[in-house]
Amino acid sequence: MTSLRKLGESYSFIIPSLIFTVVLGIYPILWAIRYMFYSYPGYGEEVFIGFGNFAALMRDEAYWNSVVNTAIYASGKIIITIPLSLVLAVILNKGLKGKNFLRAIYFMPTVLSTAVISIVFFNIFNSYNGIINQFLMKYHIVSKGIDWLGPDMAMFTSIIVAIWGAIGNYMLLFLAGLQSIPDDVYESASLDGANARQKFVYITVPMLGPVLQMIIMLAITISLKGYESIMVLTEGGPIGRTEVMYLYVYRMFFPISSSSTMIQQIGYGSAVGFMSAVIVGLITIGYFWISKRLNRIF
Amino acid sequence: MFNKMNKTSMLTVSTILALTLSACSSGGGNTTNSPKGTNETSPQSTNAAVNEGTSDAPKVKLNYWTEDRHDLAYIQEVVQRFNETNKNNIEVEVKGLSENYNQSVDIAFSSKQAPDIIRTTPSNFIPFVKKGYLEPLNGYMNAEMDAKFGGALIDKSNMMDGQIYSLPNYGYSSRLIYNVDLFEKAGIAAPPQTLDEMIETAKKLTEAGKDTGAYGFAINFKGADNSFEKAPRSIAELSGIGGYGYDFKTGKYDFSGFADIMTAFKQMKDDGSMLPGVEAMDIDPLRAQFAEGKIGMYLSISAETNVYLEQFPAKINWAAALPPTIDGEIKGVAGYWKTGPWLSISSQTKHKEEAWQFLDYMYSDEVLQKYYEGGYGLSLLPDIIAKSKTPEVPGIEGFLPTENDGIWPISPKVTVDGTDFSNLFIKYTISGGDLDKMIEDVNARYNVALDKARASGDVTTEAMPDFDAKSMQGMLTK
Repeated sequence: MTSLRKLGESYSFIIPSLIFTVVLGIYPILWAIRYMFYSYPGYGEEVFIGFGNFAALMRDEAYWNSVVNTAIYASGKIIITIPLSLVLAVILNKGLKGKNFLRAIYFMPTVLSTAVISIVFFNIFNSYNGIINQFLMKYHIVSKGIDWLGPDMAMFTSIIVAIWGAIGNYMLLFLAGLQSIPDDVYESASLDGANARQKFVYITVPMLGPVLQMIIMLAITISLKGYESIMVLTEGGPIGRTEVMYLYVYRMFFPISSSSTMIQQIGYGSAVGFMSAVIVGLITIGYFWISKRLNRIF
Repeated sequence: MFNKMNKTSMLTVSTILALTLSACSSGGGNTTNSPKGTNETSPQSTNAAVNEGTSDAPKVKLNYWTEDRHDLAYIQEVVQRFNETNKNNIEVEVKGLSENYNQSVDIAFSSKQAPDIIRTTPSNFIPFVKKGYLEPLNGYMNAEMDAKFGGALIDKSNMMDGQIYSLPNYGYSSRLIYNVDLFEKAGIAAPPQTLDEMIETAKKLTEAGKDTGAYGFAINFKGADNSFEKAPRSIAELSGIGGYGYDFKTGKYDFSGFADIMTAFKQMKDDGSMLPGVEAMDIDPLRAQFAEGKIGMYLSISAETNVYLEQFPAKINWAAALPPTIDGEIKGVAGYWKTGPWLSISSQTKHKEEAWQFLDYMYSDEVLQKYYEGGYGLSLLPDIIAKSKTPEVPGIEGFLPTENDGIWPISPKVTVDGTDFSNLFIKYTISGGDLDKMIEDVNARYNVALDKARASGDVTTEAMPDFDAKSMQGMLTK
């Protein structure tokens, strides 16, 4: 009887989460899977078209352009963010004066709304009266304002904004990892005459291995799925240069513009969403596979 | 004891939470019981109130949802007047939803909590009708209303398959907006009337504005569809070409008429006459720069008057003129923007009669005249304009309806494979390419999509061999 009551109590804690998972997670996925095979603009008749949406997707240059853009955006963000946040974490893990204040500053972007960050950065980078261009021109570093959000620079600028927004989060995870490394190891290394660089390369990095694996995995999935900042900063433009996969998916379900020519495409959007999820899934599996093999080697 | 109580209370809280959630997710609930629901009184009590006209009977509460922000204060004022003066105990509550309006309406309908009165727009009219959200108004209208609105009703904008779902009120005229001070400084007497003049004017304005950092022309390319609708579309339509590439005569898509227009835009970009950063510029930053005197001219709509009065007070003298045409000859009308439907009644409301009484009031001459006179939008009804005073809004003169303004028929909406025409043309303006090939490609893709849509019955628009864009001239003036 007591064990039954305990069981009931346990399930009562799980039920709310379970309901949320089913209603907000599993049901929408099943709903979208069904519509992948339909032509459906959100009203009227749902027309079954089999793999028609996928055939259209294969021909959709704009989507594949967004896949390439996502690869550039994610790799640019990850390659810079992870080493930089590791270095910051190592510096802030030392007994620096005001280290808590500095940690808070680096962590601050994580708690700010992405939309707010992007609006602020839009004002910083815009070509006609942005703060950066005004500064560069005032001190004669450039004679003409740089088109930070123009076709050639928009992706670079988007990556910069993404790095600024993400660095504090990863830094915090690295800090947690660093604090789990016993001091004894560093002390022994010091007795053996290791310098700071050697300690970092031969102790810190290897001992952060499991944390690093998790951070890279998080960074890959988050970066591949990220679109909010780009939506506010450039709306995927100019001329599709910053269009990323999930922004493209979003547009299919919720046309951003109120233009008379835009049509909601639930069927096609579901197919695009599925394909994007497959791409993110495959990359993540690929990373796990490489990561496991590296574990065996080292 | 404490532990036991704690566990018991936690169990109770969890159970209540679970029950509440399941209650929330059951979409088919009776909205009559919902405290914030649409219909707070039963139909029986409503009828009693209407019949008896007593103020003691429970009020019939109607919800009115709108996505418009620019006129919200005025709408609230007239709704309040209605609430105070109507004799049938009807109380209307206005709710302004500026973000995700269409999605909010969808959710409200699927959860049976739809508003009773819905602001419908050109972009949501067809979907809302097809989803069955809107109540046909034919049965409610009397002869007087037929006469008043009949001439202004547009198929697929107010009507579908002969049924009227919303009556018109206002729209925005399309104009070239220009910096009078910069024009004077550059020695230019009048705004351009041809594409060649526009290119030359932009060049001269840029030259004259060098010392102040002003440029001849600007366009908000960040929102591709929005910028396309406000700029190239208006030039095309005044030149007699369908603004969305649809040729009403042949019933096919043909974007070739845009070749000269897009070439002119590209020329201005290549000449350095466009404000730097237009590629990523949205309409509000553009307006802010224009108000500061950094832009010589741009194409937009009559909503700009209030923008330069309240949002970005203009530091310059500015004016508005008809957009230029391709060769100076006006062969059509400058298409109004966001025209057609205004208010509709929900098909789900239990108070259709009361909702109609409210609509009857909102579409009265008094409300519509003051709407126009207040400068909230240009009336689509020549009779209302004729009876009203000219709006007392600085800068409105250039936007007032002329015989060269009009409302184009609705182009069919199609789902096209690949890049849409607005993004494609903007791509050409920014980075060049083979325009003829682009037009050939976009024509082919749009016509394939159109054939598909016709075959499936989604599009019923047919060719109109007698269509003459010039015949629309004078439709908004008396």
